Amino acid sequence: MIDAALYLAGRSLVNGLRRRLRRLRQPKYLIGFGVGLLYYYAFFLRPRGQSSGAALPGAAAEVVAMLGLAVLVVTGWLFGSSRSPLVYTPAETHFLFTAPLTRRQVLDFKLLRSQLALGLSSALSVVLFSGGHFPATRILRVLGLWLVFAALQMHSAVTALVRQSLEEHGVTAVRRRVGAFVIVAALVGAAALTLRGQFGIIQDAFVDDPVTGFDTLAAVLHRGVVGVVTWPFAALVGPAVSPNLATFAARLPAALLVVAVHYLWLMRSSIAFEEVAVESAERMATRIAAWRAGRRPPPIAGAAKPTRRALTRLRETGSPARAIAWKNIQAEWRGSGVRLPVIIVIGLIVVAWVASMGNEAGSGLIVLTVLCLLFGGLAVVFGPYGLRNDLRSDLQLWDLLKTYPMRGADLVAGEVLGPVTVLTAIAWGCMLGAFTLSLALDVPGFPVADRVAALLAVAIATPAALAVTTTIQNAAVLFFPAWITLGPARATGVEMIGQRLVTMVGSIVVLVVALIPAAVVGAVAVAIAGVTGIDGVWLAVPGAIAVAVTLVFEVIMAFAWLGRVFERSDPATEIGGTS
Amino acid sequence: MIEVRGLTKLYGSLVAVEDLSFAVAPGEVLGLVGPNGAGKTTTLRSLVGIIRPTRGTIRIGASDMERDAVGAKRQLAFMPDEPRLFDYLTVEEHLRFTARLYGVRDADARIPALLQELELGEKTGALPEALSRGMKQKLAIACGLLHEPAVLLFDEPLTGLDPAGMRRMKQTIVERARQGAAVILSSHLLHLVEEVCTRVLVINRGRLVAIGTIAEIVASRPDLQGRGLEEIFLALTGGGGAT
Repeated sequence: MIDAALYLAGRSLVNGLRRRLRRLRQPKYLIGFGVGLLYYYAFFLRPRGQSSGAALPGAAAEVVAMLGLAVLVVTGWLFGSSRSPLVYTPAETHFLFTAPLTRRQVLDFKLLRSQLALGLSSALSVVLFSGGHFPATRILRVLGLWLVFAALQMHSAVTALVRQSLEEHGVTAVRRRVGAFVIVAALVGAAALTLRGQFGIIQDAFVDDPVTGFDTLAAVLHRGVVGVVTWPFAALVGPAVSPNLATFAARLPAALLVVAVHYLWLMRSSIAFEEVAVESAERMATRIAAWRAGRRPPPIAGAAKPTRRALTRLRETGSPARAIAWKNIQAEWRGSGVRLPVIIVIGLIVVAWVASMGNEAGSGLIVLTVLCLLFGGLAVVFGPYGLRNDLRSDLQLWDLLKTYPMRGADLVAGEVLGPVTVLTAIAWGCMLGAFTLSLALDVPGFPVADRVAALLAVAIATPAALAVTTTIQNAAVLFFPAWITLGPARATGVEMIGQRLVTMVGSIVVLVVALIPAAVVGAVAVAIAGVTGIDGVWLAVPGAIAVAVTLVFEVIMAFAWLGRVFERSDPATEIGGTS
Repeated sequence: MIEVRGLTKLYGSLVAVEDLSFAVAPGEVLGLVGPNGAGKTTTLRSLVGIIRPTRGTIRIGASDMERDAVGAKRQLAFMPDEPRLFDYLTVEEHLRFTARLYGVRDADARIPALLQELELGEKTGALPEALSRGMKQKLAIACGLLHEPAVLLFDEPLTGLDPAGMRRMKQTIVERARQGAAVILSSHLLHLVEEVCTRVLVINRGRLVAIGTIAEIVASRPDLQGRGLEEIFLALTGGGGAT
């Protein structure tokens, strides 16, 4: 079994590296590789003063690592997904589950195989944050981190199995979380009660000197009931934060014990929930197969969720471009979670409420207004990169799109207008929210009439600006499909990092070039409006109209151009279709 | 209805299809057969406008695929071996979306009948993820048939279908041809080709090897007299076992 796992891991690594090296013969990958290397060197490997890893003095590293680990474990139980980190690939599912192996052997195989990735992750984590300094003791940190990652991986696998098993038995997500929350709250409460008398001492120690503060905190965390609760965390992170070989050797047995307990726990859980585990493996294999085939993977939950009703009904007749846009809006609507926006809105209100506590009246409203503006701005600036239900998603069905009886320009326009419509709605909602909230505020020097002008100007320019940015992203995928990730899957490797950087810089340059004529026309419009007697913030309205018209003109020209590119494109040569 | 002249497709120095010429009349079902890598898929993808030929012309009805691609595509339906569907459109929405793209004005009347015919009536509100492989295939076919195309192209149409589905698919192909559609069917299943197609086009290494009814092909190669389609195919394509 060990031989087979090592053989598979070794050959996969070698063949993967060979394939990547062969790929470097293509200039686009070679350029990407070069840029990626430069990026890594400049940001992580270039020697620069003291290494960041050695910056934490005394017991600080241990305390921070322990608390970080505790947070990861607790949030895993509270909010973790049912997706196990031990995901079987389709090939593994096919070969292992049908082979004459016990469940335990299959799991051993998977655990062994994953060690190579964990080891590499540990080494990379240490190297990337070493500040360019590589003393020999860093190898101890790599080994220590490897143990932490291995235990965490097994812990996550157990939580996923338990979660799936509860799901199978009809225990709802809310009840699961309430259960986990009660246990965590009980543990934290017990620890808080035990530590009640120590808070003052810890606080005083931190006030005196942070190093002493951490030493005191570490001492408290290792004592009594709290010490028992925190022991597994302390034992596990111990080797990773060891300053020398002797300490490492002394701490290693305890860490190995924690890893061994996790191994036994995982084995027991996996065998207890065998059916769930196998189903999970198959489900994950299906998801991965979908990703690799360029399709969106099916949802994790076993039971099919009801389909959300369409936002609008598509009329029988009309422009095909609008049909494409409609399709993309449905995809955003059905593909997005409702939970995140609700959490954001509740979070905003809570932040505003907290901000207003103890402050003068209206401070909460100010925070809420600013947050609305901030979210609107984020939607405009980063939204086009995040919402990808356009050509970035649809080029996975490139051959299907090419069979549609419509002009390429119409198709590109429809693809772009989908996310632009969604983002415009979000941005306008945020702006309107900010404006409405501001009506209750007295802002010196910015009367309501001026706010109306500002709202109008920004609202006019927003869709045009979004259209330009989204068009650039779609142009990038049309011109350089091999450089852009299609769909949800993420390609990896130094050359891919480099390609993303090159694409990002290219997009920014094109955006700046596109904005220059609009800025010039906008400035002229403002000047003319000034002559006609319009003044103050209201000058922004004609300026915004001129900017928007110019940008829309540019976008229409781009649609025509990109449409021709699409019509002339060949999916087989661009993304490796069949022939 | 379908007229191909001198179709050539090069990928760098690789010749995928070379100087292919043939025509398919309304009511005909042309079987496109050949070994793996012969150029069948390239030919089909060129015919439906997915890829642009390096040389040659393709006419669908009165429309030239190069000069009037929109007009040509409006008359076409392509059924790939793997159904290509959008993750976030329901069954009915796929049909509405297709109707809009192809300008089908009476979609409201056609969609229920088509759903009923293809036994998708109970799945109208389902997303593709909730459909079996066969149902996805049926949905792709429904989308293809919605605009009543004059030209139908099938790539391995029986892939993933159960016996009942296979029978229905064969009936669909034959029925559409009987109604006047020109059909091209690409498949490795020689018994399907023999059963459904009125003529056969054999392609090998991108070149046309033989075209006509099986009787015509045999007549042009007396050495193939009395052999089954499989042996004829192997002999024409230089496959092992042919004598």
